[in-house]
Amino acid sequence: MISCSRNPGVFAFSMPDKPGKVDHIFHFRSTRITTVYNARSRGAATGIRCCGGKKGREDCVPRNYYELLGVSTDSTPQQIKDAYRSLQKKHHPDIAGQKGHDYTLMLNQAYRTLMREESRSRYDTACGRRSEWSGSKYSGLGYSSWNGPLRSQALFVDEHRCIGCRECVHHASETFEMDEAFGSARVKVQFGDHAKNIEVSVDSCPVNCIHWVDAEELPLLEFLVRPQPKQAYGVFGGGWERPADVFAAAKSLKKQLKEHKEKKRNRDRKGDAEIEPETTAQTKARYHASMKLQFQELLQMFGRLGEFFVAKESKEK
Amino acid sequence: MAEQPYMVASDSETTGDDKSQSAFHDLAIGIEVGTSKCSIAVWNGARVELLRNTRKQKAMRSFVMFKDDMSSGGASNETAYEEKEILSGSAIFNMKRLIGRADTDPIVHASKSLPFVVQTLGIGVKPFIAALVNNVWKSTTPEEVLAIFLVELKTTAEVQLKRLIRNVVLTIPVSFNRFQQIRVERACAMAGLHVLRLMPEPAAVALLYAQQQQQQSLHESMGSGCEKVALIFNMGAGYCDVATTATAGGVSQIKAMQGFTLGGEDILKNVLYHLLPNFDSLYSIRDTNKIRSMGLLRIAAQDAIHKLSTQSSVQINVDLGDGTKVQRVLHQSEFEEVNRNVFEICEKLIKLCLADSKLAAEDINDVILVGGCSRIPKIRSLVLGLCEKEKEYEGMDALEAAVTGAALEGAVASGITDPSGSLDMLTIQATPLSLGIRVHGGGFVPIIQRNTAIPVRKSMIFTTAQDGQTEALIVVYEGDGKMVEENHLMGYFKVTAIPPVLKGTAEISVCMDIDAANTLRVFAGAMMPGTDRAVSPFFEVRMPTLDDGHGWCAQALVKTHGSALDLTTIPKELQPQKVQ
Repeated sequence: MISCSRNPGVFAFSMPDKPGKVDHIFHFRSTRITTVYNARSRGAATGIRCCGGKKGREDCVPRNYYELLGVSTDSTPQQIKDAYRSLQKKHHPDIAGQKGHDYTLMLNQAYRTLMREESRSRYDTACGRRSEWSGSKYSGLGYSSWNGPLRSQALFVDEHRCIGCRECVHHASETFEMDEAFGSARVKVQFGDHAKNIEVSVDSCPVNCIHWVDAEELPLLEFLVRPQPKQAYGVFGGGWERPADVFAAAKSLKKQLKEHKEKKRNRDRKGDAEIEPETTAQTKARYHASMKLQFQELLQMFGRLGEFFVAKESKEK
Repeated sequence: MAEQPYMVASDSETTGDDKSQSAFHDLAIGIEVGTSKCSIAVWNGARVELLRNTRKQKAMRSFVMFKDDMSSGGASNETAYEEKEILSGSAIFNMKRLIGRADTDPIVHASKSLPFVVQTLGIGVKPFIAALVNNVWKSTTPEEVLAIFLVELKTTAEVQLKRLIRNVVLTIPVSFNRFQQIRVERACAMAGLHVLRLMPEPAAVALLYAQQQQQQSLHESMGSGCEKVALIFNMGAGYCDVATTATAGGVSQIKAMQGFTLGGEDILKNVLYHLLPNFDSLYSIRDTNKIRSMGLLRIAAQDAIHKLSTQSSVQINVDLGDGTKVQRVLHQSEFEEVNRNVFEICEKLIKLCLADSKLAAEDINDVILVGGCSRIPKIRSLVLGLCEKEKEYEGMDALEAAVTGAALEGAVASGITDPSGSLDMLTIQATPLSLGIRVHGGGFVPIIQRNTAIPVRKSMIFTTAQDGQTEALIVVYEGDGKMVEENHLMGYFKVTAIPPVLKGTAEISVCMDIDAANTLRVFAGAMMPGTDRAVSPFFEVRMPTLDDGHGWCAQALVKTHGSALDLTTIPKELQPQKVQ
């Protein structure tokens, strides 16, 4: 019986507006982005392409602009602007000295790209990023595990309503458990007890917060009912929050998910069209070019021959 | 950059002088060398202070007087020259209008109406300028004059601050090209000064504005405050600059800049020609008497223009000493008619700047008017009218704003911090002109577009124009014209070891990099087609490599090499920066 909990890594890159954190975030993600970069080394490269010289190649790995600026992918232009300014104030060569040069270069590039709607959406496509929205941490997996065959109905405790009376745990201890931190009950294993015991537990709830829900909707509800970290502004705000009406929230999130999927599909289609720059002739030319490089000696001979013919022709004339 | 300097504890009630001795040994001072006036300012630990010379002047006349074996500038204390003496031909002034220009430049030609000698031969070399010393015209150069003057400013500052001065932030007009900037830097080097930053004047004003906004929002305890967009109009004696800037949280982002060589000097000249239509023929021969009468007329005209800022008409009454008398009344409307071309250019600059920054008049929160010419009523009404504002931004001294901004930048860039937050700000500057290279057929391809925030690095892939071409010339230009002839040639170098393949298949990467100090570097080299590996080591060239502002080397290049070493652009889809 494996219970699948939230992916612990997710939270590491969901902390916007914290310039100090940015560096860690880079390390966390850089490998992934490198792969993206290599996979389409010609098409999707960003403007920051190093031209040799003293800078090593590692510096040239384009970082994710959103992470560079420390904003979330759904941030508004105003948020990007604010983040850009506060980072500039820290890293601009006027303030940080020459060592801030490279960082500011990238900041400027990121800002330029993300501030224009058109280039931003193109960037999102090129990076193969889904734009992350409020439900970004939703993994699609619920909290509770299943005992026995899958059924169309599942048990769900609205933890927001639960008063922590422990009645349900008392009657069906294999199915329900108490979350001591929040003081509320939750479903540990679907159908962990006999149907009769479960029936009793549901009935015994004094606030009627145990619901039979669609198995399909269960993961969504279980995700939403858990408190989510709230974005902090300096020392204000922050903490945790969860929707007051979990069912309504699930409905809207479901809708969002669907829209997002469609949007992504459209974008991918468009993106594919965009990343097909070379015509057959160009590909051919390119192929020939690299072939020629390999046979450079031969080529030089051709060159001499060519000169010879030209000379001959002019002589004939 | 040096270590963070030691900070003076905020509770010590020491004076600025004491602080500057102990803490700010490396602090850069701000200098504004104007066409007519100049000033020095320095951060004294709590605020920016303008230094005065021994005659208690904050704004010192910019000129250098040449005498028998010595020269002395307007900042020096020994003698207080009268304007009459400055115009006697022995003094060189207006060096800001002359520096870094070739003798084909119309501005240099226009300077011939000045009392000292400006000779042009029209072949694109440095103009010959000379001052009258003991009835002999002694030659000099604008850089030399500027250097002599800077030495005096340096000494003045050193005496007052009781420390050696090495680093400076100098303000320059927006329209200064890189040649002019290099010349200014060279003049500073001659004077023993290290230029920390050359700052466009509106950028300096924007920094001061950012500071004032920051202070204001701190007072109102509104946190970082909301974004404010300002239009900065700066017109002095020599140059006119317009810039738009967006400011929030102590950071001012320059959105667009426009500049033109246009100022009080042009207005003065228009008035002179209006008062004396045969000015040129009258003063074609220069002897002491002629120069003196020219000087008298100049002083009278200058005086009249100043008076017209406050009154509607002015009585001009001047005896030029050679029998010619100018006696007349100059009306405001007449003055405006005579200078219509000047106002038209101002209007054009503002419109261009607004268009570049994609702003409409109603987007602008503040209109900042600085510089001596901003006192002219017509200019005020023109700028405010274009921005649809009732009145201008208050709280800045029109003549001290730029130098104050430069001193602030000097303090920030020297690594000074202020516990009260007065130095917690930044100006993000932009490039006023596009930078790019020449391609096959004489076209100009910009790599860095104008009004791009600096520092910036951009690269582009080019390809060869000929089959089997192994070398390519990278010819770098600055400007916004479509063809290279319309732009300034910065320099050129040759990329070698290009794989000899069919034209259009080799890849040459050209990358341009501008750092915060506005230094331009160009990296270029051949790439293995289809990869991002370099064939051979890249070239890194600091621009400009040329010394003169004319494009004659380019003509010579075309004449010698034809199109054998040309580059062309490759289709946009193949450029590596798809994401822009």
